[in-house]
Amino acid sequence: MSNTVDIAIIGAGLAGRLLAYRLSQLNYDIDLYEANQLDIKTSAQQLSAAAFTAAGMIAPISEAIDADLDTYFLGKSSLKLWPQIIRELNLSGDKKIAYQQNGSLIICHHQDQAELTHFTRKVHRLSQTCDAKFKTLDATDIKALEPDLEGNFSTGLLLEEEANIDNRHLMHALLQQCLANQVHLIDQATVSVTNNCVTHQHKSQTYQWVFDCRGVGAKAQLPNLRGVRGEVLRVESTEISLSRPVRLMHPRYQLYLVPKPNRQFVIGATQIESEDTSPMSVQSMLELCSALYSINPAFSQARILEQNTNLRPAFIDNKPQVIVRDQLVSINGLFRHGFLVAPAIIDSVVNWLQGKNCPNQARLFSFLEH
Amino acid sequence: MNTSTDLLKLYDETFNSRFLLGTALYRNPEEMSAAIKASGSQFITLSLRQQNPAKNDGDAFWQMIKNTGCKLLPNTAGCKSAKEAINLAEMSRELFETSWIKLEVIGDDYNLQPDPFELVIAATQLIKRGFKVLPYCTDDLVLCLRLIDAGCEVLMPWGAPIGTGRGLMNKYHLKSLRERLPTTPLIIDAGLGSPSQAAEALELGFDAVLLNTAVAKADDPVLMAHAFSLAIQAGRSAYLAGLMQRRQTASPSTPILGQPFWHQQSS
Repeated sequence: MSNTVDIAIIGAGLAGRLLAYRLSQLNYDIDLYEANQLDIKTSAQQLSAAAFTAAGMIAPISEAIDADLDTYFLGKSSLKLWPQIIRELNLSGDKKIAYQQNGSLIICHHQDQAELTHFTRKVHRLSQTCDAKFKTLDATDIKALEPDLEGNFSTGLLLEEEANIDNRHLMHALLQQCLANQVHLIDQATVSVTNNCVTHQHKSQTYQWVFDCRGVGAKAQLPNLRGVRGEVLRVESTEISLSRPVRLMHPRYQLYLVPKPNRQFVIGATQIESEDTSPMSVQSMLELCSALYSINPAFSQARILEQNTNLRPAFIDNKPQVIVRDQLVSINGLFRHGFLVAPAIIDSVVNWLQGKNCPNQARLFSFLEH
Repeated sequence: MNTSTDLLKLYDETFNSRFLLGTALYRNPEEMSAAIKASGSQFITLSLRQQNPAKNDGDAFWQMIKNTGCKLLPNTAGCKSAKEAINLAEMSRELFETSWIKLEVIGDDYNLQPDPFELVIAATQLIKRGFKVLPYCTDDLVLCLRLIDAGCEVLMPWGAPIGTGRGLMNKYHLKSLRERLPTTPLIIDAGLGSPSQAAEALELGFDAVLLNTAVAKADDPVLMAHAFSLAIQAGRSAYLAGLMQRRQTASPSTPILGQPFWHQQSS
């Protein structure tokens, strides 16, 4: 059975790849455009996509503290969808994608106790309005969960449902599977989009539907979109192991330390209202490194593998949107919540495209007159 | 009291609102804009360091700040020496096209206390360069006098260290400042956590308050901005109305002449 609908997807980031993957399973004919060059064998160094610099957490409660209930519910849907996506990808891939649902550990240094109290109060409120679950911890509990935490952490929270994913491996596997499913990839393609028409190297091609998943790259199309600078480090330590993401309270932003395969860790992320993509500032480097050191002094011997700066695409309310205008569908504004909300959003888009019931439609979609 | 004639005068400009609000720490720009609107504030602070609206860099956030219609007060948050603060002030003047500057020079990392020595050096230089300087200072009288000598026409003494929400920690010093500097506009900057504390500052005769965390970190920042705005108006009206003197013993509001003597004794 072959579907005759032709589809263009612009942007092979997380949303673009997930959408291409899901639609290719349904036998749509798909052209996937990407501005950067993709090394299909490794697809390892595509650092321009936020999904590669991200830490790959699916943390609906932690993120709802500074976001909103919509983001929380999208995250809860994604927590159900990810294991299924990963099961499918693992069936065909040669290596297993690491996906852990061990929860997140929330801790603070003594002088930031007020931040943790504030966080706990908000989690408590969330648990009253919806089914958010949490456990409060003392120093012994924290040590039992994460023996390698060396700071003097006397209180904390465990958010048991929260998960994390090996994002780079996942991104690679998604692209491989798209290609195996006959998605036609056109990389190094700077395109312009008008309704259902994609122009690339002076040639125009029309489609039944065009899905614009370019993130900050779609700014010309979406005037209300802005980029929010984030800086992260990737380090390698042979001395320390963690079983789950650890979030450290900070007066200005949430710092997180996320274990990755091969003894790597991602620590991030600053959040600065600027579209400056220059390298990490010394101040941010000092803050991130001192956070590492305060978690365990053995991090002083860790090796800094990468420092990355990227822009999170965000609308004014920092919520994601699916904007439908005639045959052009823009999926954007995932902000710092790509891995948290993307499966739920893509699921809704696929259901909507097939004319099925779409549970998050009111939360996500807006339909514009041309 | 007709509030339209009770204006806040800072340098050569006048303001209806006595509430200066910061633009950091909000969950998203929409909430920030709504909180600014609810505050009725006409003067908002922003940091070049932390928000860095790089000049030709699609400055969407910067545009949103502009769209609030408020006057901008760039600050030198994070600076630790006069030299650093002066450089940042110059960059802010160019980028934000205003010579107003909230001068912050931090002397201690732990409580973010102003460095009084570097502050006077920076203020002196910036006034010479034509800036309208609003220095964030401690409540030390001699420091405040030095800043006035340097040419500052407005002072911003702290209520408590930044972000602590402890209110007016040293009322004795703050009252002395108000008494000794009766004509200098004094703005309580930093340390306010609740509207009642802001009302108290205005009741004591301070001309305005500047705050950020107490609004941005509230569960409902928009409602909290409104609450502060009401408290600031209440405090100002109370100051203008003239507070009654406190007394040690009770003084009944109804005459007690007609009461039996045993009731009078027990009161």
